This record gives sequence, C-alpha cells and structure tokens, in this order.
Amino acid sequence: MLKIIIPTIMLMPLTWLSKKNMIWINTTTYSLLISLISLSLLNQPSNNSLNFSLMFFSDPLSAPLLVLTTWLLPLMLMASQHHLSKEPLIRKKLYITMLTMLQTFLIMTFTATELISFYILFEATLVPTLIIITRWGNQTERLNAGLYFLFYTLMGSLPLLVALISIQNLTGSLNFLLIQYWNQALPDSWSNIFLWLACMMAFMVKMPLYGLHLWLPKAHVEAPIAGSMVLAAILLKLGGYGMLRITTMLNPQTSFMAYPFLMLSLWGMIMTSSICLRQTDLKSLIAYSSVSHMALVIVAVLIQTPWSYMGATALMIAHGLTSSMLFCLANSNYERTHSRTMILARGLQTLLPLMAAWWLLASLTNLALPPSINLIGELFVVMSSFSWSNITIILMGTNITITALYSLYMLITTQRGKYTHHINSIKPSFTRENALMALHMTPLLLLSLNPKIILGFTY
Amino acid sequence: MNPLIFTTILMTVLLGTMIVMMSSHWLMIWIGFEMNLLAIIPILMKKYNPRTMEASTKYFLTQATASMLLMMAIIINLMHSGQWTITKVFNPTASIIMTSALAMKLGLTPFHFWVPEVTQGISLTSGLILLTWQKLAPMSILYQISPSINLNILLTMAVLSILVGGWGGLNQTQLRKIMAYSSIAHMGWMTAVLAYNPTLTMLNMLIYIMMTLTMFMLFIHSSSTTTLSLSHTWNKTPLTTTLILITLLSMGGLPPLSGFMPKWMIIQELTKNNSIILPTLMAIMALLNLYFYMRLTYSTSLTMFPSTNNMKMKWQFETKRITFLPPLIVMSSLLLPLTPMLSILD
Repeated sequence: MLKIIIPTIMLMPLTWLSKKNMIWINTTTYSLLISLISLSLLNQPSNNSLNFSLMFFSDPLSAPLLVLTTWLLPLMLMASQHHLSKEPLIRKKLYITMLTMLQTFLIMTFTATELISFYILFEATLVPTLIIITRWGNQTERLNAGLYFLFYTLMGSLPLLVALISIQNLTGSLNFLLIQYWNQALPDSWSNIFLWLACMMAFMVKMPLYGLHLWLPKAHVEAPIAGSMVLAAILLKLGGYGMLRITTMLNPQTSFMAYPFLMLSLWGMIMTSSICLRQTDLKSLIAYSSVSHMALVIVAVLIQTPWSYMGATALMIAHGLTSSMLFCLANSNYERTHSRTMILARGLQTLLPLMAAWWLLASLTNLALPPSINLIGELFVVMSSFSWSNITIILMGTNITITALYSLYMLITTQRGKYTHHINSIKPSFTRENALMALHMTPLLLLSLNPKIILGFTY
Repeated sequence: MNPLIFTTILMTVLLGTMIVMMSSHWLMIWIGFEMNLLAIIPILMKKYNPRTMEASTKYFLTQATASMLLMMAIIINLMHSGQWTITKVFNPTASIIMTSALAMKLGLTPFHFWVPEVTQGISLTSGLILLTWQKLAPMSILYQISPSINLNILLTMAVLSILVGGWGGLNQTQLRKIMAYSSIAHMGWMTAVLAYNPTLTMLNMLIYIMMTLTMFMLFIHSSSTTTLSLSHTWNKTPLTTTLILITLLSMGGLPPLSGFMPKWMIIQELTKNNSIILPTLMAIMALLNLYFYMRLTYSTSLTMFPSTNNMKMKWQFETKRITFLPPLIVMSSLLLPLTPMLSILD
C-alpha cells in the first residue's frame, strides 16, 4: 500500500518544485500513473482480503473505492485548470497541495485496518476540504457552507470516537481483521442502543441521511469544481464505506434500530428527487440528486442482505463517476456564463454538439439506464428492499420515475430548444473538457462489461 | 524598564514557580506562590496606564485570596496530620478548600471571571506569561494532591469550565479575551482527567503551552490585538496567515494536527474508566471553541481580498523578533503521529 501512499505524498514536493509552465502537466501525469498502480488492487483472487501489513489492507469493498479515489485526482486537476489560470503561482500550488493532501488522507482512510486510525483520517479529510471550499469558492455563502459542513460532520463523529474507544475496551482491539473473527452478538441494553446510534450517526451525517442533509447543497454549490467533484464522488462514499464496515459489529440491534433511518431514507429519496424538479440552480440540482442516490445506499446498507450490499457498492462507484461528471459538465457551463442558473445556458446542443453528447450520456447514466452499473446498483437495491418489505416497491418505483424526470428535465433545459442570443459568443469546448468527460465516461461504460469487480465482498 | 531590574523580576517569577514545583514542605510552596505573585505584578504593569493598573489589581486580589485559602487548607491539613510534607491531603475539608484555592489560581469556573479582564488589560507578552507560565505552579500542586481531591467538585468545575470557555468566547473580537476563554476551556479539559490519569493532565498542559505560545508569538509578530487588525496579516506577511490557520485548527482539536492528541487521550482515558456521557459532552462542547477559532481563521486566512485591504491599516513599526517560532509551529501541528511517545511522560 505504501507504493500508492508515498507517491501521493511526494506529489506535494513535486508541485512546489515544478516550474511555472509545468505544474499542471507534472501533477496530472504522475497522479494518472499512481491511479494505474492502484488498478492492480482490483485483482482479488479469493474472498479474503489482501493484507499488506498490520495497518493497511484492501478487500473487494475498499479496492473499487480506492481506484475511484486515485482515478479522480487527475480528473480534478484537469478540471481546475481554467478557474485557477488567473491566480498567482503560489496560490495554484497551494490548491494542488490541498487536493493532494486530501487524496493522501482518503487513500489511507479506505485502506486502514485499525478503526481509530480510520476515524482520525476520516476527520482529517475535513480540513483540506474545508480550506478548498472556503478559500476558493466563489460566492459569499461559502463561509456559511464551510461552517455547516465542518460542524455537522464533527457533531456526528465525536460520539463515534467515544463509541470506538468503548468497543476497544470491550473487545481488546479495533483492528478490523481481528474483529471479523470475534463477531458476537451485542447484548440488548439501553447503552448498546446508544452505542449503535453513536457509531452510525457520523456516517449518516456524511452520507447524508435526509434529515441531516442541510450541509450538502450548501457545500456542493459553493465549492469550486474540484471540491464539488471530490465531495460528490468520494466523501459521501466515506459514509457508506464506514457504515458497511461498522454494521458487522453492531448486530442484532440493527434489526430494530434501523427502522427510523430506513423510513427517513425511503421518504427522503422521494422528497429530494422532487425538489430537483423545482431547482433553478444547476449545481443544486445535482447536489440534491446525490442525496437521493445516497438514500438508496443507506436503505441497502441497513437491510443487510448479500444482494443489497452488492447493490450498495455498485451504486456508490457508479454514482461517484456519474455525479462527478455532471459537476464537470455544470462547471463547463459556469465557466462560460458565470452563472449557475440553468435557463441562462439553454439550447447548447446547437452550439456545442460534442458536449451535448456527454450531457446525454451523463443524464442517461444518472437515470440508471441499462446496462450501466447505475442500473445494476439500483436494481439490486430495489430487489432486496422488495424482499425486505413488499410495499417499498411503490416508493422505489416512484423514485426511479422522478429520477428519470429530473435527469431528462436537466438534459432538455440545457441542451434542447432554441439557444438564447446572449450565449452565441461562448468559447467552444476545450479539448481538456472533452478529455475530462471521456475519462469519466469510459470507466463507467467499461465497468458495465464486467461489473463483478465493483460488486463488493458478498459476490 | 532597567534591564537589570527586569531580569531580576523575571528570575523571581521563575524562581517562585520552581520553588512551588520542587518543594516538599507546604510552607515553602506557599512562599513560592507569593514570590511568584509579587514578582509578576511589575511584569503585568510593563506599560503604565490605568487599564494595566486595573488588570494588575484584579489579578493581585484574586491570587492573594487564593493564597490565603491555600494557607488555611495547609493549616487544617497540619492540624489533622501533624506534618508539613506534601503528600495527599488528610482531611476532606482541607482538600475542598485547597481545590478551590488552586482553581482560583488557574481560572477554573466558577472562579474564572478574572481571566478575560486581566488578560485584556495587559500587553501581549505579559498575557503570554500569564496564560502559560502561571498555570504551571497550580497545576503541579493539583497533580501532587490528585489522589485526595473530591471527584464531584473537580468534574463539576471541569465541565463548567469547558462550557464557559466555549460560550464566553463566542461574543469576543479582542484576541486576548479569545485566548483567555480558550485557556479556561483547556484548563477544564486538564482537570477533568486529573483524577483518572494525571499524566494526561501533564500532556495536555505541554501541548496547550506549545499552542498558546505559538498563537501569542504570531500575534506579537503582527502586533495585532483585535480580529480586525489580525485580518491585515495577509498584507504584511502572507505566510503568517497560513501559520495562524494551522495553529488555530490545532487548538480547536481537529485531527490530524497535534491539538487532537490530548483530547483523544483524555476521551480514551475517561471512556476506559466507564464514564461515557462525560467525554461525549466535553467533546461536543469543545466544538463551541472551534466555532470562534474558525471565525478568526475566516477573517485572517480563508477570505481572499482581490483588492487592497479596505480597512484602516496601523502603523507598521519594525517587526518584533519572535523567538523559536518554527520549531513551535512544527510541534503544535505535526505531533500527532508521535502519540506512542507518551510513555516518556510516565
């Protein structure tokens, strides 16, 4: 695992020592090389995890998330080139350093064995993200957004620290590899109910659960493009990953403790999807769509069946790529019109046909068109929730319909129709932007050929 | 001040604290406290104006009261045990009185009212000495009598201090008052774990002193005493803005910076001793502290001005020399991976 972590840390001296005209080239190239190294982790020969040391391991759940993380860094760097072009050199290097620091913490989080180390790195990802959102965001609301983001996550995760330490007290070790062999049922008592709550609330806030999701639209909308990409693609999945890891220790309380959260998620996914139909702000629409997809993941994790775990993992990877791509597309609009309002940049198909193709593909994967992995994820989740309770099919079906509705609404508003007169002087698409979209879309389409690698450890 | 006299007074302050920390006779400890108090008054009054006089008077009155209470506790202890050696305190009344006296010296709630006002009235350097060096002596006595302290009083004072330190600092813009409330809150954390594992109190004291030293050095460097003047640092030394950001986040207790280490260790120790609600409450109340640190970072480093600063700039005198700043900054931010080295404190 050090073969990935040390090169990522070394990206920081690389940025500071590069010449002015080489910083983007150097960092993008080397981060692409690092992502190629991480691809080798996807080859998991047996159902056991690949243990690299006492501190780092990789199993079929964390390997796809790790590959997604390393894949996203070059994409983030490519996407940030334009809005940082006018800044002084030191600020550009600071920005890239923040992204690299965040990347290092994320890689270590996904491969940590000891749960306290996971917790420390989970919290550590907050600091670079906060700095990226508050320092390089574009509107004054970003200050409030940073505060909401920081405090929501910290309020949720401080009880998690206490809970992890009390579990360590109980079992003697928090090393994940050991705990999977220790697994006993938690005795039924009030304090164990609070233990369950303390463990899960941190990840519920991070996912986010419907009632605790207020930080997400603010943070996603106010963040610069790299911040939005990393938030949508990876940081939300940290919550899902944590939940998948920690629910193995929390039986049998989950069978009855999960009900309120299931209700909130099932209702919340419909509510947030419906809000998407009324949004005027493009980034806000994509942010609420993220909440809706993540609510599906929460439902899947709390039901705790093998199929639902497969669906959750697939949905996390698929949503990561799709959401990040949608944010890149929205950013390409924002860079041209300097506004996030959807109707200000409509009818783009006549002006930028290739970008319209990417918009089409992104919207189609967002609404979970077969045979993409989005469909595999959503289908598995719908099937397992149907077997858990027959009535949920109504809610799930409604959600799929509304998701299709707002994805097509977004597509039609931005692409079809007559363009307005004030955007016929926008710059054509850069090759960089087309490359960005292609690099998002290609893994998504290729994974539909072999989805086995992203189906997680219950395959 | 005449340098010779200043050196003598400073040495007396140091000597007083040393006497307190190294004595085994209660009377010598009391003498050390008095020596410390008398010698620090001229240091607090380095600038001669009514504000400093008021601050020094308040400080003198509270500390003298605390010393008298300490003497009474010592005498009661003498009556009940017949000897002057500092071991545990033999009488519960004496223990309570002694704890209150030391809490008054430290600035724990409900005896915290002097801390913001005194810190605000004196210069930055004197404030630095007040908030770091002066805490060493009372804390060392608390460490030594820790087996016999009434747990109820100690934990109540600790939790209330964290609460007051968090809430009180929310409405402040003066940097010295912010540091004072931060000191109250950190003292609360330190005393909370005193009964369970006093080594962690020492750890927290060490890291708190490092971080407070760093903060004060950075403030002295830009001669800024209000949030408004701190927001000018990006004009003068842009690097200082990053350093202020890192140190403030470390004081707020965010991983992966070293300010997280004492909080983590204290929460671990409390949880291992089966008190679960207490550390959760303490951790959540520390978020109040983090809020006003974040506000400081917002005005200093995280908002970029596209134009020159549209506030009145102060006269830029020659930059004061700051001692030892780079190692301090490194230690106050990057110490977390060295947590296993805690064993040296035993």
